[in-house]
Amino acid sequence: MPIVEKSLVSVDRVEHLEVEGIDVSGDWNTFLRSRVVTDLDVKIADWVKGQPQGETISRCWQCGTCTAGCCLHTDYGLEEFNPRYFIYLAQIGYEEELRRYASTIWRCVSCNKCVERCPKGVKVEEVIHTIGTYLELSGGAAESPADRFDRAYTENLLGRGILDEAALFRTYERLEGRRTPARELLRLGLTLLKSGRLHTGPFAHRTRGWNRMRKVLEAKLTEDRARRRASVPAPPVPSGRKP
Amino acid sequence: MNAAPARGPVDAVPAYYPGCSLDGLGKAYEVTCQQVLDRLDLSLDRIVDYNCCGATEVKNLSQDVSIALPARNLALARSMDRHQVVAACNGCVYSLARANDAVHEEATRTRINATLQAGGSPAYDGSASVQHVLEFIYQRAGLERVRAAVRRPLTGLTVAPYYGCLYTRPKRYTGVGTTPGTDDPEHPHFLDELLRACGAKVVEEYSAKTICCGGGHALSDLDVSVAFGASILNEAKRAGADLVATICPLGQINIENHLDRIRAEFGEEIVRPVAYFTQLMSLAFGSSLKQARLGDNFSRPDLFLRARGFV
Ligand code: SF4
Ligand code: SF4
Repeated sequence: MPIVEKSLVSVDRVEHLEVEGIDVSGDWNTFLRSRVVTDLDVKIADWVKGQPQGETISRCWQCGTCTAGCCLHTDYGLEEFNPRYFIYLAQIGYEEELRRYASTIWRCVSCNKCVERCPKGVKVEEVIHTIGTYLELSGGAAESPADRFDRAYTENLLGRGILDEAALFRTYERLEGRRTPARELLRLGLTLLKSGRLHTGPFAHRTRGWNRMRKVLEAKLTEDRARRRASVPAPPVPSGRKP
Repeated sequence: MNAAPARGPVDAVPAYYPGCSLDGLGKAYEVTCQQVLDRLDLSLDRIVDYNCCGATEVKNLSQDVSIALPARNLALARSMDRHQVVAACNGCVYSLARANDAVHEEATRTRINATLQAGGSPAYDGSASVQHVLEFIYQRAGLERVRAAVRRPLTGLTVAPYYGCLYTRPKRYTGVGTTPGTDDPEHPHFLDELLRACGAKVVEEYSAKTICCGGGHALSDLDVSVAFGASILNEAKRAGADLVATICPLGQINIENHLDRIRAEFGEEIVRPVAYFTQLMSLAFGSSLKQARLGDNFSRPDLFLRARGFV
């Protein structure tokens, strides 16, 4: 984008930008001489990359395409929700800054626009969720509403093989300490009952012969949870050091 | 990490994966899908002992569980000797196709099959392709046959075609846009054309076509999901649409569940009735409002359509 407001251009910033003795201004005719940064903390990036959902993180070349079209950033207008930046912070290991977004990152709605458009084949949506998981497991970040929902959803469907929508609603309301007024629930329940759509509790659908699969998958879930928790690096020591 | 080929051999009668929504809140979608398929002489064979696909939630907890759940359904389809699986829910299409992508990798396939077999399911080799019912109807019936099946054209109705997220996205999983004969992932148009073939006026360049409905966070992030529901309706209003057509139970239910909040926050004037596209097609093929179960929808398209002369 051209800079229309000339007063925004600072000669100091544009022409005399030097880092560690190297001209990185990008001024006319200068080439950026590469420099090797050795003190980046790669433990977050490594952990994310080690998870099957996060393995594409290292493909990111920071073009910003994901953020430009992100449903939350652009359509909803939540400016601080910036998937490109989250990936950047994870890559350079700037944990303190990343933690500032712990209460935002869970809000990704999984619309997959970013995955569709990323020119580098980063599974952005899954990488973002994995970064969120890191923040939660490595201490500090509280379990988010979305994490609670994922958990309630998964436990619900593993029970019978088929989701009990009404039971999920009740469980989740309890987890959040919310209560839909009884009259509203009754009205909804009656509408569903009349149209033959209330399959809950003893009337819930179930997958025949599911019990054996349920045990295997529940064990897998527990195992994965334990493995992820055990592999997460120790919580950061606040240091004020910038990378 | 190369993506799996998205489409394989074609079945005369593909397997049909209902998913939880179509067997529950989205019953009207399932019933009218069947009506539309019948009238177009198309058949699908239901996967009887299916299980929930895990949608977008399970993968945040465990990769293997999130692959095994859909893979079990695909394995069942293969044991019915089918190579094609048709689903009507965008979330199901996404997770089934995602499982295909994952088991394409040998190490993952071996691991997932060990899990499946321990749980009493047949193993899965990755050879069933996944398709949305919208694409199935569009490809198999074609616009000519749809036109010929119309008894009561939707003349006089202006419809906003809402596709949502996961019908095409991401193409790496769904193969939409990279497989010949599939829709355009950025500017899908199959729904536009089917509704037009039914006699409706379809909003051109409906700007909320592929935005998110927020359905994944319908309960956990009300601010966002209410705002997305409202903007789908508001864009329909701005474009002069009478109603919104959906192709996904998550989108349908998310918008409809939030109607009271949308009214309170954004005003009654943006609210429009919302209906599954198969309900509208079934109506055009001669079903009554009741047969098309248009009274099931909380936004009550039946009342609106009755006032417009439909019976
Ligand atoms: S679109 Fe892909 S490459 Fe570009 S910033 Fe986002 S994740 Fe990185
Ligand atoms: S999936 Fe999440 S990060 Fe990606 S565009 Fe959608 S909201 Fe943004």
